Amino acid sequence: MGPLAVLSHSSLSLAHLFLHKLQKQLVALINLLGDWAAFIGAVLILGLASSWYMIDSGTLLTTEREAPWVTWTSAGRIDADPYTRAHFARLGTLQLTTEIARSYIAYTDSDGEKLHSSCDYFIEGREPRTSWWSLTVFDKTGQLIANPVERYAFTSQSIAIRPNGTFTVTLAREARPGNWLPTGGAGRLALVFTTLDARAPVLTPQDGGGSALPEIRRIKCR
Amino acid sequence: MPIKLSDKLKNANWQLIIAAPVAAGILHICATYAAPYLTGASAYSRLAPALPLNKMHILRPVTPGKEPLPFLSPDARYAMCRFDTSQGPVKVSATLPPDAGWTLTVHSPHGDNLYAAASTPGRVTPVLIMLVPSSDRFLGVTPEARGVSRGTQPPLAVSATRGIVVVRGPNGAFAYRPRVLAGLKEAHCSGRTF
Repeated sequence: MGPLAVLSHSSLSLAHLFLHKLQKQLVALINLLGDWAAFIGAVLILGLASSWYMIDSGTLLTTEREAPWVTWTSAGRIDADPYTRAHFARLGTLQLTTEIARSYIAYTDSDGEKLHSSCDYFIEGREPRTSWWSLTVFDKTGQLIANPVERYAFTSQSIAIRPNGTFTVTLAREARPGNWLPTGGAGRLALVFTTLDARAPVLTPQDGGGSALPEIRRIKCR
Repeated sequence: MPIKLSDKLKNANWQLIIAAPVAAGILHICATYAAPYLTGASAYSRLAPALPLNKMHILRPVTPGKEPLPFLSPDARYAMCRFDTSQGPVKVSATLPPDAGWTLTVHSPHGDNLYAAASTPGRVTPVLIMLVPSSDRFLGVTPEARGVSRGTQPPLAVSATRGIVVVRGPNGAFAYRPRVLAGLKEAHCSGRTF
């Protein structure tokens, strides 16, 4: 039993030692891989997500907001920041420079609920002090909504204005009296309010109080 | 036995933790600058195939299913000219009527407004510009140098190699539409060789 038992015990210890070392190395490797996975994940999330957010939604650095309206302050300009440039390249639009025009876009009503063709809305505003303006309804991808009366927009030349300079537009699927913009069955909607003559104030208070950007109120949903 | 927070902090890979925001910042900048080039269909690439070179073309009214661009409002009629100044300067002329809402803009392929003019109510706005490839190119001998009186104000030079000129006329009530169309027909775009 003597020498054979010693040999067997010694070889067992060696194997044990080897396995123990291997286990330690594996744990170290797993820790290192975990660190790198966390590093790559953090870099991708921080880098790409922050870029996507700033291009898609904009921040105070690139946009002016008065709920629910958003405008990109350097749209179309030759000195536009890279976020604005990327935003409109992604949209695929040709913007007029903000030196001569401003475009305000709303995807929600004034309470923050998404605009949808299954609901009716009142858009109430005061005529801005600009030489020309328009209000257009699109679906969420920027396409026009087909309708039997072929009406897609109101402009300062075509809208019926009250004597006190205010106006109301009804956004609805079925015909409504007054300034009616049909929404058909488009689903999610986008409203674009464009003003020419960028020097005229739109966001600043007007004569009647409040800005010239219209308020969008939900009337009812089906 | 639960690992203490101090041990966790001691064993943390601080080099990677510090490197992460730096690398994320570099990725953020690269992604933002690359985004305009990664988009499948820019406005220029959508419009260019349908527009003749160095010639003003009046687009059909914007209607559902026939929108050349997303968010292009049907509140106006558009005349566009795709220009390329590599073979010589391109002359652009238009007369913006004395109505509100008319604009003439020169866009680069990336959508920047290289030049923009808007109409003034009550006053006709003539626009005469010469699109030139760059400021250091020879543009030919001036009329004065050839001993010919110019007679008119020299055009404004705008440096641009490729792009699109857009003339926009507000699409008012039905009775005004022939007038808008006539205004767009007044806009011209023509190439000149060196």
